[in-house]
Amino acid sequence: MKTFEVKDCALLMRMSGLPPAMNLRELRDRVAACGENVLYHHFCETTLRPTFDDPDYRNDFAAWARLHMRDRVLAERLGIINPYAFDTIEQLRAVVLDIIDDRLGEVTMVPWVRSGNEFQFMEAITVIFDTGERIRNPRELAPAILKMTDGSIYYHFMEALRRPPLGKDDFSFWLSGFGDEYGQLIRRVEAIDFYFYGLVDLRRELALALTIEEEA
Amino acid sequence: MITPLAQYEAIVGASTVAQLRRLGKKLSGLKVVHVNSTREGGGVAEILEWMVPHMRDVGVNASWEVIHGDPMFFDITKSIHNGLQGKSVDFSPKDWRIYQDVNEMNAVRLRPLLEDADIVVIHDPQPAGLLNFCPNRKGRWIWRGHIDISSPFRPLWKVLRTFLEKYDASVFSMAEFAQPLPHPQFVVPPSIDPLSEKNRDLDPAALSGVRSQFGLDPDRPLIVQISRFDRFKDPIGVIKAYRLVRKVIPVQLVLAGGGAADDPEGKAVLEDVLEAAAGDLDIHVLLLPMDAHKTINALQRLADIILQKSTREGFGLTVTEGMWKGKPVIGGDVGGIRLQVVNYQTGFLVNTPEGAAHRIRFLLHHRERISEMGEVAKEFVRGNFLLTRHLRECLTLFFATRNMKKERTLHV
Repeated sequence: MKTFEVKDCALLMRMSGLPPAMNLRELRDRVAACGENVLYHHFCETTLRPTFDDPDYRNDFAAWARLHMRDRVLAERLGIINPYAFDTIEQLRAVVLDIIDDRLGEVTMVPWVRSGNEFQFMEAITVIFDTGERIRNPRELAPAILKMTDGSIYYHFMEALRRPPLGKDDFSFWLSGFGDEYGQLIRRVEAIDFYFYGLVDLRRELALALTIEEEA
Repeated sequence: MITPLAQYEAIVGASTVAQLRRLGKKLSGLKVVHVNSTREGGGVAEILEWMVPHMRDVGVNASWEVIHGDPMFFDITKSIHNGLQGKSVDFSPKDWRIYQDVNEMNAVRLRPLLEDADIVVIHDPQPAGLLNFCPNRKGRWIWRGHIDISSPFRPLWKVLRTFLEKYDASVFSMAEFAQPLPHPQFVVPPSIDPLSEKNRDLDPAALSGVRSQFGLDPDRPLIVQISRFDRFKDPIGVIKAYRLVRKVIPVQLVLAGGGAADDPEGKAVLEDVLEAAAGDLDIHVLLLPMDAHKTINALQRLADIILQKSTREGFGLTVTEGMWKGKPVIGGDVGGIRLQVVNYQTGFLVNTPEGAAHRIRFLLHHRERISEMGEVAKEFVRGNFLLTRHLRECLTLFFATRNMKKERTLHV
């Protein structure tokens, strides 16, 4: 069986080049036009960024709607979106636009923000590198996960969902190579409601799910 | 004295330090030159003081150069600094001529080093003109703006922009600080060194020594603002907030800061502050020497609440420092303070002296919230604003600027 190669990654944020949005209509237009990487950043890469870890707002659009536009209804609708539930970013985009369009149809004036609170459209470069560490036995996986950086957890779990095989994290995929032997562990990993965890909590949950009990 | 990277393992974990070493190994031997305008005083010098040795520690061939200029040059660059932060400033063609002449003079001295470097990082506007005088540069040039230039004084910006647009990339502390420029623009928040003299743990004797030195009463609450004497830090507003609190709670205030070699305006602001504080023995206005790091550390640790009531702010490293000491911070609702201070979590954001006074009173009447918020604040800094994260992003930036393709992932 192939060994598990532990990779690490670091994120570097950059401006997308899109003008900032000052109101909900501008947000809608920019979301419709922005690149997939921009949407991916604001929904998925938030966990690797230096921001306050607020479980109420797992994506930047919901946070902006609540904190700066003061639109609680829109914030709640956007905040519950799980980007990993979609097969493609385009499907995610369609849902976000639908929610914004619904809201624009409900309000009597277009919600806006003060100067300085505009939504800044960002994207990121993910620099990926091999740590040189290898895991050979599934029993080594949980202890190794506890020692991994946030970057490794993000790369092998969240980032992996976007790589072929789509929707599969690296840990489960590697274990599935051992046949059915570790099916229970894979199911435990699949049961983690990971989108609402920060990386520290996710590391703990993964290690817990992948711990192989010693037989008495 | 720079602490070896290995000693940070106790604070951020061994895996984080190992990650830096792995990144550094991939950049081994890369020639990086940082250039700024002062070796001491101010946040940029503090960052470079640790960053350059740590870059060298992980294998990057990093160095730090400082441009030289006369007082007239630094008056001009202070005006540029103020203008970039939105203040209307008088700027004549002669001033730009002097700015360019000083940059050219420095380029003569630094040219061999800069033209040979793989990466040149120019910090803030003072040395930005160097690029024009290095026509045979072989590496990538990055302009690192540490201040908020989101609403600059337009006539000044139009000229400065002509210097900056020739760079290969620019870096800002927050996306909100940037201006459109015709090259990739990255966002890297700054950080603090938890083991520096300004931030490391202090024993109780050191704290009581500083308390006695400045005649602070241990039995009454203390609020502290540490920052250079600069109008954008609103020290007069802090005194106003203190006076509003003082009507009901016998609080003490420390306003402490050093001058910086490139800040001639500080003296005038200090005089205004002393005048506003005159006659009140519970307002301690302290002009500290550049190297009073331990004193600043102690004052922050002695404080019940840290203030940073800026009306314009770059990132606000004093906020990060205060949070690292487990204190809630009441900060102006501007710039990088917003990234760090989260209402009811790590402190409060305020817009007026009245707002600051209200929050000070709230915290002093709910003392348990002071320790709760302080604890959250410290952990927030540990996860996001320590030098290890900053160093990692800078190393990542070097990869990204060497490979300027617009790819989302980069395998190294």
